[in-house]
Amino acid sequence: MNLVLVGIIGIFVLLLVLFFLGMPVGFAMAVVGFWGFCYAVSLKAALNMVATDLWFTFSKYGLTVIPLFVLMGYLAFNSGIAERLYNAAYTWVGHWPGGLAIATIGADELFAAICGSNTATAATMGAVALPQMEKYHYDPKLSSGTVATGGTLGTVMPPSVVIIVIGLQTEQSIVKLFLGGILPAILMGILFVLTILVLCRLRPNFGPVGPKTSFNEKIKSLSGVIEAIAIFFLVIGGLFFGLFTPTEAGAVGVFCTFIVSVATHGLTWKAFMSSVVETLKISCMVFVLVAGAIIFGRFLAVTRIPFLVADFATSLPVPPYVILVFVLLIYLIGGCVMDALGFLVLTIPIFFPLGMALGFDPVWYGIILTMVTTLGAITPPVGVNLYVVKALAPEIDIGTIFKSVSFFVVASIISIIILIIFPQIVLVIPGMVR
Amino acid sequence: MIPYLEKMSTFLNKLLLGVAGITMIGMVLLTCANIFLRCVWVPIKGVYELMGFFGAIVTAFALGYTQAKRGHVGIDIVVNQFSAKAQRILNGITYCICMVFFALAGWQTVKWGTTIWQTGEVTETLRIIFYPFIYGVALGCFILCLVFLVDLLKVLIGEKVPNK
Repeated sequence: MNLVLVGIIGIFVLLLVLFFLGMPVGFAMAVVGFWGFCYAVSLKAALNMVATDLWFTFSKYGLTVIPLFVLMGYLAFNSGIAERLYNAAYTWVGHWPGGLAIATIGADELFAAICGSNTATAATMGAVALPQMEKYHYDPKLSSGTVATGGTLGTVMPPSVVIIVIGLQTEQSIVKLFLGGILPAILMGILFVLTILVLCRLRPNFGPVGPKTSFNEKIKSLSGVIEAIAIFFLVIGGLFFGLFTPTEAGAVGVFCTFIVSVATHGLTWKAFMSSVVETLKISCMVFVLVAGAIIFGRFLAVTRIPFLVADFATSLPVPPYVILVFVLLIYLIGGCVMDALGFLVLTIPIFFPLGMALGFDPVWYGIILTMVTTLGAITPPVGVNLYVVKALAPEIDIGTIFKSVSFFVVASIISIIILIIFPQIVLVIPGMVR
Repeated sequence: MIPYLEKMSTFLNKLLLGVAGITMIGMVLLTCANIFLRCVWVPIKGVYELMGFFGAIVTAFALGYTQAKRGHVGIDIVVNQFSAKAQRILNGITYCICMVFFALAGWQTVKWGTTIWQTGEVTETLRIIFYPFIYGVALGCFILCLVFLVDLLKVLIGEKVPNK
């Protein structure tokens, strides 16, 4: 049988069947990759390939960055740093219309700077912000969407697990990708705040005005922010100035977050153990996804499908940006039906070479893919952040959460469009690094 | 037999998870110590190699526990539409395929580790043997198989298995 046909059967029949059987995405990719390689080459070669790929993926120095940044995020998650960030943001903007929601986005932005996980950011800030917003009679149509969407900043603002996975899979500099994510995350945050302001102008009952605070209180509240900003600058600054490798930055981040958590009496032994166990689970899940994608990628490479897709796309008589829009739509739809990170690792072997063949900058393209992937976390029916909010506030109807998020999805799409029109926003900071 | 297997699986997974956790903390300390010593004296030799091997242990030893806690991402929107009986059958097929796959992967990893042992291959910087770490990855695969086996047996006798 023609290898291209084998590849198409592998992707559109076997892989989809296994997905819909409920097999975890990483395992399904590994099984199909193994089957395809076995068919295309030989059983012996496929067995060797699986064993060596598992070993080389699990023992790759570059991948050790994942557990470290995840642990850093979980320590921050379990240590009360988020509460201090939220209180500081609230002290500054709580008296604005929708001030609590704006404070949530501000605190999300700061928390995302020390936490690389989208769900951890949503869960942490949700646990702090949702009760406050309920207390001040905020409409769930605003509060639930704010928490779910604010969590997505955790994916774009470095350190980010999604960015690390993109960097490792595409062999791009994680440092440049991290630096490329800073301004887009700030842009997204600004657009989310504008969305809140517009919604509160149109519907003042969505976010009633909170009490005013004195200038002294404002300054005092900053003490809760300084530690997070210091950790961020140490980690990202160390990367920027070439003092650390990403793995070293992760270890330094864990160490500093641990010290801050212990010094502020925010971390109990139980919370520490929970952070370690959750980190192992999340890291293992990500490693399995990456290993599955690598095994699957070997099969795809044998079939030559990624190259054929790239050749076909570049030969089309349409501008590259039309193809980019098409790719982004695929990610948007894919993110609606399966886990966003799973969909990303599955499709990178096809769509990254395509982006390169179209002449896009790899850092810019990686960040655009990260941003569209984050949308998968808030688009129904499988957007994980929606269910995080539902778990934190069971009284809010899931339909209300879907509706609430839709306002912010528009803002996210606008931020992607802005980055497509002005790629310099992504590239200016990475451009400063040699 | 199934309760015995399940107890053994739970015990082994918790044991390996403990080793993985300690190894991960070791990775943090080793890296921080390396940065510190690099600043004040000389870097620790072979950190790059050790971090890779420790990373392999962290991941492989958490494989079974993560699956037991249904921590691997999957698509359940389709399978949830089926009746409980159909879901059991589909889960059984999934467990069976995964068990066979990881048994093959583990067995092949053992074979490869044995080749590395017999040829006396050592690491480039520290000149130490590394086949024990390869066996560690194989062990992780076999423990994952055990988790799938317990789930499969539970499906076969009609016992409820937590879905994703």
